[in-house]
Amino acid sequence: MEDEAFTDINGKSISLDCHSHSGLCREFTVSSPKVSIGKVMVYTCSVWLSAYAVFFFTENTAVLSCAIFVTLVGMMLHIHFVKVDHESLLVIGSLGIQVSSSYASGRETTTFIEMGKIKDIVINEAIYMHQIIYYLCVLLKDPSEADAVSSVVPLFQSSKPRLNCLVKVYKSCQEILSKC
Amino acid sequence: MVENTPSPLPERAISGFVLFLGSQFGFFLYCLWAFVPEEWLHSVGLTYWPQKYWALAVPIYLLVALMICFVLLFGVNMNNTAPLDSIDNITDVYARGQRNDDCRKGGIPPIKDVSLKADYWFN
Repeated sequence: MEDEAFTDINGKSISLDCHSHSGLCREFTVSSPKVSIGKVMVYTCSVWLSAYAVFFFTENTAVLSCAIFVTLVGMMLHIHFVKVDHESLLVIGSLGIQVSSSYASGRETTTFIEMGKIKDIVINEAIYMHQIIYYLCVLLKDPSEADAVSSVVPLFQSSKPRLNCLVKVYKSCQEILSKC
Repeated sequence: MVENTPSPLPERAISGFVLFLGSQFGFFLYCLWAFVPEEWLHSVGLTYWPQKYWALAVPIYLLVALMICFVLLFGVNMNNTAPLDSIDNITDVYARGQRNDDCRKGGIPPIKDVSLKADYWFN
């Protein structure tokens, strides 16, 4: 279990946890920082103050109740669908890999990719909005056609770690993938 | 023999100067139409010309459209960028068509794409 000072592409600090269950099975977990109470209070206060300003000029109380409803529903949707708490990659030699991301509300989504479909796990660089980032991705192939890459599955999408973190995960994954 | 060079040629200089004079004259006529009062234009006989409102509106419309074009171009570029899960970030039709067995003995190997598997991370 190592925890160095890794950051994501925007500079926010994240943490990487490597756990070796056995010689052929390793799990990597990248955790994003939790929702900060300061940010929540700032957003809530700004929305409610602007709703009060609108109410002050229009004398319509529906604006206030609407603002309360919107903030509550917005916060619930955000922590359930948007805010990722940690993402993990479980590599089991000769069986497959499992990618799972768990959200702040406790919801977990999991995907398993069997080893027959995996061509390789590589670090690729691509244009993302206005910058070029490194990202770890799984190259999938058709089991029948051993040479052509059929599709790409990017890993650690929500907590885009920087290159030092990706290199650690990459080296560890390649040790397992080269054994089988 | 037709020469395709970007260097200055006499014909290009002449057409450039003609365009320059034409555009300056066109601007002079536009200013003339914009500043001369309507009654004078009517008295000469030019009655069916656009309203003076357009003397200001058209340049402003064009400038606003130019500003929006800059923003729109940036947006269209970002929209056309391949997403991170697209196969276009890895390979394309031309890269797949490369053959690996074209090496003649002792010769320089042909140009090929470097594979994504990076051995230089392991140092």
